Amino acid sequence: MMPSPSDGLPDERGSMYSQSQSNVNTSGDKTSPISVILVSSGSRGNKLLFRYPFQRVAESPSSLTAKQRNPYALNTTVDTLEDQDGDSREQSPLTDEQLVAGFSDIILATILATKSDMCGKKFELKIDNVRFVGHPTLLQHSPIIQVSKTDPSPKRELPTMILFNVVFALRANADPSVISCMHNLSRRIAIALQHEEHRCQYLTREAKLMLSVQDEITTMTETDGSPKSPFRQILPKCKLARDLKVAYDSLCTTGVVRLHINNWLEVSFCLPHKIHRIGGNYFPPEALEQSLKAIRPYHALLLLESEKALLSQLPLDCSPAMVRLIKTCSAVKNLQQLAQDADLALLQIFQIAAHLVYWGKAIIIYPLCENNVYMLSPHANICIYSSLAEEFSQQFSGSNLPSMLAKFSLPVSLAEFRNPLEAPAQEAQLIQMVVWMLQHRLLIQLHTYVCLLVPPSEDEPGMKDEELPLAARVGSRSLSTPSALSFGSPTSSDDMTLTSPSMDNSSAELQPGGDSPLNKRMTETLLTSLSEYERQVILNIPAAQNPEDLRMFARLLHYFRGHHHLEEIMYNENMRRSQLKTLFDKFRSVLVVTNHEDPIISIFQSPME
Amino acid sequence: MVTRIECIFFSEFHPTLGPKITYQVPEEYISRELFDTVQVYIITKPELQNKLITVTAMEKKLIGCPVCIEHKKYRRNALLFNLGLVCDAKTDTCALEPIVKKLSGYLTTLELESGFISNEESKQKLLPIMSTLLDDLNATGACTLPIDDSNTIHLKLIPLRKDPQIVQEYDVPVFAQCKEHFIKSQWDLTTQQILPYIDGFRHIQKISAEADVELNLVRIAVQNLLYYGVVTLVSIFQYSNVYCTTPKVQSLIDDKSIQEECLNYVSKQGQKRASLRDVFQLYCGLSPGTTVRDLCSRYAQQLQRVDERRLIQFGLMKSLIRRLQKYPVKVIRDERSRPPRLYTGCHSYDEICCKTGISYQELDERLENDPNIVICWK
Repeated sequence: MMPSPSDGLPDERGSMYSQSQSNVNTSGDKTSPISVILVSSGSRGNKLLFRYPFQRVAESPSSLTAKQRNPYALNTTVDTLEDQDGDSREQSPLTDEQLVAGFSDIILATILATKSDMCGKKFELKIDNVRFVGHPTLLQHSPIIQVSKTDPSPKRELPTMILFNVVFALRANADPSVISCMHNLSRRIAIALQHEEHRCQYLTREAKLMLSVQDEITTMTETDGSPKSPFRQILPKCKLARDLKVAYDSLCTTGVVRLHINNWLEVSFCLPHKIHRIGGNYFPPEALEQSLKAIRPYHALLLLESEKALLSQLPLDCSPAMVRLIKTCSAVKNLQQLAQDADLALLQIFQIAAHLVYWGKAIIIYPLCENNVYMLSPHANICIYSSLAEEFSQQFSGSNLPSMLAKFSLPVSLAEFRNPLEAPAQEAQLIQMVVWMLQHRLLIQLHTYVCLLVPPSEDEPGMKDEELPLAARVGSRSLSTPSALSFGSPTSSDDMTLTSPSMDNSSAELQPGGDSPLNKRMTETLLTSLSEYERQVILNIPAAQNPEDLRMFARLLHYFRGHHHLEEIMYNENMRRSQLKTLFDKFRSVLVVTNHEDPIISIFQSPME
Repeated sequence: MVTRIECIFFSEFHPTLGPKITYQVPEEYISRELFDTVQVYIITKPELQNKLITVTAMEKKLIGCPVCIEHKKYRRNALLFNLGLVCDAKTDTCALEPIVKKLSGYLTTLELESGFISNEESKQKLLPIMSTLLDDLNATGACTLPIDDSNTIHLKLIPLRKDPQIVQEYDVPVFAQCKEHFIKSQWDLTTQQILPYIDGFRHIQKISAEADVELNLVRIAVQNLLYYGVVTLVSIFQYSNVYCTTPKVQSLIDDKSIQEECLNYVSKQGQKRASLRDVFQLYCGLSPGTTVRDLCSRYAQQLQRVDERRLIQFGLMKSLIRRLQKYPVKVIRDERSRPPRLYTGCHSYDEICCKTGISYQELDERLENDPNIVICWK
């Protein structure tokens, strides 16, 4: 339905259409809202105060029938995912605007301005393909009505608002976690508005403005005959309307919302689904939270933006601990060292790190050191036309991304890149590139995991069927480092010198050297978790004849379940890599070794299915 | 997931009393307050007619589809009613929506044909109907009941599943459960025709060629099987393939049921069952740079009782291992040549070989010696 030149304000029409064009890009995106709506209920009844995006006003019934006159036109108003053949194909979905535009202002006011008993709780309403979510809030008014002293007119009762509701409209098939996030945002805005209303009647004032503009436009329409959108006129006059528009736009693009209600109260919010994405997939916040609970002191925090950029984004009243952390953070420092350098408690470090990760400003990695082995991530985008390739060549002139990535096709440790003939500057640049690739989720780090599996005996077939392997049996025994609060000796690289034996490990009780009866008993106790057969096999290994080795093996037995990687054992037990590798080699007839990524932090490199 | 219906209610707009609940099974389930709060969503304004409305309030979810039939014969010139379901607020009610829609359609038809609802006598038949519905749907998820001599209601709860991935021509479908349990006659003709060729080793292109079914039809049929969880997809098996372990490989040690399944699946037929240690060692022996051929020579002893093809198949099905694909990328090209179409880093060797028809070795020979092309494995 093209606007004819004789209609008033053709540029306004044009811009209304261009508005809907930009919305087409976000249609079909299940994590973006379709619309934001503000309704209120009070003495004037239920009112729709504001909605955004604006409705396409040009539709009149005659134009609809004109469209449908073509007998071959597909009826696109029915949103089905299958055609008659049962194919599930990608079909052009209804634009989001069409989904919500079908609801008039009046009907929205009726269904979204709820009764008072639904206030203070999550509001969720699904109508066909649209889901509305909000947090209706009751307003308590003081009985005194503010009337200016100089106002000579008789006391009029000002229209009072009883409750209001900030509602987000989403696609009906949005993920439940997206829905609860939107509800969270609605609640936060409601709290801020409630507070401002109580303090200075902010909401009543804004509502009055909005309604008066709407009335104005309605009367103008009746006289003029040309329909206009009242909400467009509200925007320049009303700060609250602009705030809601900003919230909607931010949710659709970056997923980070920062508002200042009445230029006073800050409402900040982030949608993890938009922030944590790799390719087309996002990872659900629950998986993120689970990962964050499991991080250990030997992990490190890698910032995703430069220190300067990050610091400039922080609000003025942010915690100084966070500033200190950001300034001392580095890819080679583990969280334990970070705590020491920034002079903060480890627990605090964990909390701030989790916060930064949640907001998409950092990820958790294993600290960079030359023995780290990296490989190309299965989800890495290696297309030559990708924006990543472009960014890389800009940042590191003279190198191209695919060639660099090809070097990581096979797992390679950073030490292998070291070339004594090369200038140190080259090496520094290599580290920079690796950090860049980690930040952009192109690399995963492989760790060595070891599992105890004794070769089955040929003459006792029944045993191997019924017996669970060690891993399953020792399951109940707790780890020596619970996730957040371990204080074992720090080690993040191989050049550290052995400090005194760690304080809280049971292994400290074993005296170094000598075959004292105490040691022997300790070893025996540690081996009791094994079956008789397993113990025999282990004791028959030539290496077990050496009491030192056997002792070390027994001490580390509970790590051999396939869930603890080499670096973790190094950290907990204060051992060198070479020591462990030699031990594994000596006992290789009962141990099985494999390399793969750390499942705790692999979420940051690959989204979970 | 169990979708339990707590209550079925029939609500209408009474000419004098306004919106009310005429019948509900079980009785007194919906309290006065609950109905007051939500009645605007049950008996609605005309704009919301025939829309599926789900509202959550007071720990309950109500799903309904309001109907309005306008006719001069009714008092108030219109008949408004809504037959809805009530569940607990935490229930996922997607599977119930088609049922509510269907019910509202049935009742509308009944009313238009024989005045079923406006007639006080026949309306009373609703109560036993609702009661049967509630019992049957909760018990078996399906309900068939005759309403009168000529009309019968058929309803079924169909759980919604996740959208399946797109099936490519180089994917290999493999039966997730025993093939014998598959009842051929329940499926469409295309699926029946390609069934004998699904053996976990033939890829889509090959199935299409051998079964003489058009490629896209095969893709769609397999996607359908994927949706219902009948098959999973793995990659083409070749002895030159490279695989590596995933963190999930540890589940072979932790989870007894996966262990059992695995050992039964990968052991060679007619021989003693393979030992867990051998199988685990084989999986752990798979790593970047090691082909299946290498594995076979290195672990010949362990492979005595293990079928390596089925080993790989099981590992892929359960995500214990993953395949490392080769991606050629053309990095250096002069301005005059055409932009690379297939060597962009987006297409694996599998895909290129399928699309162009050249063999793996041939492609390898062409690309290994080309200085302009790097190969990425991922």
